[in-house]
Amino acid sequence: MGQQVLNAIFIGSIYALFAVGYTLVFGVLDILNLAHSAVFMLGAAITYSLVVNYHQSFAVACVLGIGACAVMGLVIEYVCLRPLRRRRAPPIAALISTIGLALIIVAAVEQGRPGSAFAWLWVDGANSVRFPPDMIPNPTWHVDGLTLEATKVVIVPITLVLMLVLGYVIRFTQFGRGLRAVAENPRAASLMGLDVDRMIVLTVVLSSALGGVAGILFGLALSDISPYIGRDSLEIRGLAVIVLGGMGSIPGAVAGGYLLGLIEVLALVVFGSNVRAGVAFAALFLMLVLRPQGLFGAQLRERL
Amino acid sequence: MKRDRVILGLLAAIVLAACGTTSTSGGGGPSYAGKTIKLGAILSITGAGGVYGPQSRDGMKLAVDQINKAGGVNGATIDLTVNDDASLKAQSAQLAQTMIQQDLDLALLGPTLSNSAVGVHPLAESLKTPILAVSTTGIHIVPDCNFPAAAACKYVFRDSLGEQTAIPDNIKSYAADKHPSTGVLLVAQDDKFSSDGGKIVQDTVGQYGINLLAVIKFSKAESDLSPYVTQAVQKKPDVIFITSLGGIPAKIMSEARKLGWTGQFLGGNGFNTATVSKQAGADGMGARSASAWYIGNTFASNADFVNAYKAAYGKDPDQFSAQGYTAIKIIADSAKRANLTFSDLAGDRDKLRAAMETVKIDSPLGPFQFTADHDVKQTVWIIQMDGQGGFTLLHEIPAS
Repeated sequence: MGQQVLNAIFIGSIYALFAVGYTLVFGVLDILNLAHSAVFMLGAAITYSLVVNYHQSFAVACVLGIGACAVMGLVIEYVCLRPLRRRRAPPIAALISTIGLALIIVAAVEQGRPGSAFAWLWVDGANSVRFPPDMIPNPTWHVDGLTLEATKVVIVPITLVLMLVLGYVIRFTQFGRGLRAVAENPRAASLMGLDVDRMIVLTVVLSSALGGVAGILFGLALSDISPYIGRDSLEIRGLAVIVLGGMGSIPGAVAGGYLLGLIEVLALVVFGSNVRAGVAFAALFLMLVLRPQGLFGAQLRERL
Repeated sequence: MKRDRVILGLLAAIVLAACGTTSTSGGGGPSYAGKTIKLGAILSITGAGGVYGPQSRDGMKLAVDQINKAGGVNGATIDLTVNDDASLKAQSAQLAQTMIQQDLDLALLGPTLSNSAVGVHPLAESLKTPILAVSTTGIHIVPDCNFPAAAACKYVFRDSLGEQTAIPDNIKSYAADKHPSTGVLLVAQDDKFSSDGGKIVQDTVGQYGINLLAVIKFSKAESDLSPYVTQAVQKKPDVIFITSLGGIPAKIMSEARKLGWTGQFLGGNGFNTATVSKQAGADGMGARSASAWYIGNTFASNADFVNAYKAAYGKDPDQFSAQGYTAIKIIADSAKRANLTFSDLAGDRDKLRAAMETVKIDSPLGPFQFTADHDVKQTVWIIQMDGQGGFTLLHEIPAS
């Protein structure tokens, strides 16, 4: 059981990191950015390409991969969100435009094969690949009957440190206060002299960079990088996490990530493999019925 | 003198007539000089089946090149088009329809995955187009491609060894060698090939005294297999059976070894490519499966194939290359004997189908012919991964 709890903590950290990006945008803009799962995938795919096809060190590739995701955040804001916001389009329009961008990003990577127009980005088409085993040392430790693999263990401190930094920034910095003001009431924030558009750009860029980090850690720990990792593994689960934790709440996203990881693993252990996903989503359904505001719903009045 | 001229004239007429109907290259069939035999292959070049499809394609292309360079099929050139179905069932069926009705191919090959074959094969059957499966090993591929309808499909053939033969042979062989008493099955439940394999394992283990401690099902789209592998390893089985495809078997092997498990992996056709053996690396060492082909076989039809493949691609072939290569040889031999008209496509497809039923050739797989059910009857080779991306031969099980 101990090993399964560890498995839950490892995957829960990735869920948390991914969901924080989701919830950050939701908290500020009241829309779901469904391109987030594609950005997550892009982070892993670009980093992999830089290491394998462009022979960069893993550290350099990570920085460039996360940077590319941040730039993709700009694309999301300037192409998918801002034009619709200017026209006061309903949130569903932004939801659909981000789905469109997600499909484009996935298709671009999927089409990346030797000789194709996207070969500079990715050459493995729809295949699943993994980082080279000798790229970074990956020792495995056996402690008290538990197996600890370095690439998985490292996810936990990275996630917690990033969350603490993010929490500090939002709670105690000028930027964070601005962000919370915009989340609370954008019109009032604007009247108080805040540059709302700038705050939104920064939010989407930050969210996308976090998505990229999650994607890289996912590819590293689970040895699975393909155009579909965001869609298949994180998109719906990310939504489940933010519903569990409370829409728009960062501590909620973190708690929800670990909770979903634990529920999935417990479902597997207690009920058997057939019901793993089913039980996780039954928990989600129960949360929606019994406590629609999520775990941290009480704090919803003060968003983020 | 006059009589001599008549005799000479008659002789000349006979020779001319013979030249008109006999190929100079094909050895005895009707002349197809200047004609083209259009074939279409549906293979998974990308996606989950992307570790198998490219090998099938390379084997097929080698055979096509060899035949065309040697003068073609009774003078006709083979024109093979390979289409990638990205391992997607719907895309596979769509491609089949286009190739049969729009491209007007004489026959089809593939698709790579059993999961896609359940859509493609009934379509080819209904459109009366011969289709030769080159890697599909699931249940109900031949003869009952329209399962649950029991009627035999007339146009569907297979040159790949079915899991119903391969998996029991593999388990029997390992049980005889090591006498395991417990096992756990890890099966991708949302894929026909994988779930069929799982069913066969469950139906077989009892015969050899192996107690199946757990059947652990997962989705082939899952990236995080660690909870499933942890659950399997915690049962402390002698054997872990893996029925899955793509990179999944290698991932399971790596996870299990990291958890300190030292038992035996047994698998199905999903193990039988160098790509999977390479992905598994040292973690896969000793993993056993039953294969339709073994690279080290020295009989001429295999040795020639292996040498030609290495010369063409600079790498070793695998089972999928051998089956792809054999498929083209089967169709070429059948076409040679089918007396094709090249003007009546439906009639030609029917003639080819009939000729395929009586094919008898030497192939890299060994002497090849179809059973009455259009399935392959051949020797089974029990192989194990060598930990370096290749395989070694353990046993040879003659065709039963």
